[in-house]
Amino acid sequence: MPIALSPPFRPRPGLTKFTNCRLLRGDKLVHEDLWVSSVSGKVVNSQAAFFDDLVLPDQTIDLGGRIVSPGFIDVQLNGAFGFNFSTLLDDMSQYGKKVKEVQKLLVQTGVTSYNPTITSQRPELYQKALPFLGPSGHLQDAEDGAESLGAHCEGPFLSPTKNGVHNVDVLIEAQTFEDLEACYGKHNLTPRAEGERIPIKYITAAPERGQMMKLIPELTARGITYSVGHSEATYEQASEAVGQGATMITHLFNAMRPLHHRNPGIFGVLGIAESLPRPYFGIIADGIHLHPTTIKIAFNSHPDGFILVTDAMHLVGLPDGAYPWTNGDTTCNIVKVGSKLLLENSDTIAGSSITLLECVNNFLQWTGTGIPHALRAVTATPAAMLGLQGVKGSLDAGADADLVILSEKQTPGQPSTLVLDEVWKFGTRVHRAVHDS
Amino acid sequence: MRLIIRDDAEGASTYVANYIINRINTFHPTAENPFVLGLPTGSSPLGVYKILVEKYKAGAVSFENVITFNMDEYVGIPRDHPESYHTFMWKHFFSHVNIHPSNVHILNGNAPNLEAECVAYEDAIKRAGGIDLFLAGIGEDGHIAFNEPGSSLASRTRVKTLAYDTILANSRFFDHDISKVPRMALTVGVQTVLEAREVVVIILGQRKSLALQKCIEEGVNHMWTLSSLQLHPHPMIVVDEDATLELKYFKSIEKVAMDAGFEQILPSKVRTGNGPVPQTKVEEVSSPTILAPQPTTSRLLRATPATEYPIRSVSPDLVPDRMASRIPEPHLTDRLTPNPEQQTVQNPITA
Repeated sequence: MPIALSPPFRPRPGLTKFTNCRLLRGDKLVHEDLWVSSVSGKVVNSQAAFFDDLVLPDQTIDLGGRIVSPGFIDVQLNGAFGFNFSTLLDDMSQYGKKVKEVQKLLVQTGVTSYNPTITSQRPELYQKALPFLGPSGHLQDAEDGAESLGAHCEGPFLSPTKNGVHNVDVLIEAQTFEDLEACYGKHNLTPRAEGERIPIKYITAAPERGQMMKLIPELTARGITYSVGHSEATYEQASEAVGQGATMITHLFNAMRPLHHRNPGIFGVLGIAESLPRPYFGIIADGIHLHPTTIKIAFNSHPDGFILVTDAMHLVGLPDGAYPWTNGDTTCNIVKVGSKLLLENSDTIAGSSITLLECVNNFLQWTGTGIPHALRAVTATPAAMLGLQGVKGSLDAGADADLVILSEKQTPGQPSTLVLDEVWKFGTRVHRAVHDS
Repeated sequence: MRLIIRDDAEGASTYVANYIINRINTFHPTAENPFVLGLPTGSSPLGVYKILVEKYKAGAVSFENVITFNMDEYVGIPRDHPESYHTFMWKHFFSHVNIHPSNVHILNGNAPNLEAECVAYEDAIKRAGGIDLFLAGIGEDGHIAFNEPGSSLASRTRVKTLAYDTILANSRFFDHDISKVPRMALTVGVQTVLEAREVVVIILGQRKSLALQKCIEEGVNHMWTLSSLQLHPHPMIVVDEDATLELKYFKSIEKVAMDAGFEQILPSKVRTGNGPVPQTKVEEVSSPTILAPQPTTSRLLRATPATEYPIRSVSPDLVPDRMASRIPEPHLTDRLTPNPEQQTVQNPITA
């Protein structure tokens, strides 16, 4: 019990209070204050700070009723701002520099953490590039920009008939765990010492290829999430993969068998027919990969597993035109028209060039589901998929203080759209948008 | 005792909130001479807190140099439990205003030594210079703080077991499961409240009308602990219309009083700060529990005497006159005595 009468005022540096704002909590936007600390980089339990530490915020920010959401998490990003993560450079030390540049720009789009994604490549690229893509948040430096939560290896253990834009020539099969190690590099899969972070966070692979089905438990035992994707798996095979520990589906509906009424394919595992836990699933809401109604059906089938991803290529933000793209061994051109990316002289979709906030707004427009659900799909749900619930994608006390501040733009007769105003990383403001109005 | 009646809960809450703000602002609190405010929890004061927060945000009041003492806290539930009074105060008041955490005092229901906690609390109040204004609410059984029916009117801060009625009433906050409701609480005593320089009670709703009637229209009684307020020199009770259901006392009284210029009258020093620490003439009870029986009533009557009463200038001065002057002068022809002047001398009539 504090019983000082004229206490010396002891401000704790770096405590910020947001007031007059709406916080994303679960399925609701609630009118509450939020305290964050730039010292601990966490959301602060304000009541405990007041009664235990006897501190008041250094600054109070009146947000005028705007929305505070946890920072966005993009679990599938191939590159951005001209740099493709699936690139071998002559001087690989330049690779790390490029990644850092991307991260500093990426955070300005509201994405405070992400999984850098490598498409199907030769083993050499994985082994050289992965060490630069591992989790980067342990230093808690807000200046670093967006934080890697670990790499996503999309391939090369994929089905050659569901390759999408992946180069068929580099796709391989795994019979044993050694085959995975030979491809990705042993130390990228298994920590050298206890407590060491491994670069790989999750792997997309076709469960029906080789002995992949049996290797799933070995991956999940290492804390690596197994995602089903680029696969010819039937409903039965997909169910078996889920039974083995698969907890994610990579870009649902794309690069997999479509839902057939006699065999629902991979999509069928969202139906809880086998009393298995339902996996999370990624959805590209760019208006090209999927029809809006398809997205709504997927959402309604399992709202708690719904994750919006960009699957964006490094061409995000660059002008329209043809860009050379090294894919495995071959070089071809990707034609960018607006946010549409196609392989030259074909109709093959080559990823997207959309931002995550645009995906959120598309989802809001198409489904009218409501802001909390749309925001959850880029915050709490991807965090849970990565096993980071309560750490990322959350405004609860103790979570990392990665925030975005959003305005709601109202159009009569339509669902409102969200506008990014500010981005905070580890309790520090790192970006303030300049709106031309 | 002043009784203020307003049409509804909103009106009563606004009155109390404005009154407190007025008191703080007139007091001009400083770090050396802070305003000491006693605070309750519960449903009755919710509206008051809401308005205080609004007024603070509008810049009408500052809590920079206000020290607070809360009335009570449950024993044995975590401090950050959603139903703890710490959480209540944080949620409804402290988190919204500029009060410094070091100036906030709430009994610690998880203290290793609850007795010592209570003694330290009384000491802290004393060191803060006594409480300038104690805001209170009451229960349906007329209890003030957790001083349930039958509590000693000379009680001080101590551990109390809750009355079964209170446990029942509180079960609505604990999933309607009586087993989850705390059985004990720490609370300031009746005497602690009476020692405040001013006590303001807010009572809302028809459910509390019987308690209000018992407390202000009947005698001082330990079964209705709020009735002890009758012994305080500066009590004020603010109620809504519904709470007056059992009263013989009516709203019109206030109107008449206002017309005559009667308001809450406080000694100027109490009103503007730098006031004397109230000299309680009670022999000090060394522990919060009473060790030997003491003559309660006489002690109470001597407690916190109103040492200084302001002169009510609005009261009409007494102008003496004589009865004869009120009788109209009779006509000469109607005089019973022909020579009245002589008579006056013989029988001098003075007023």
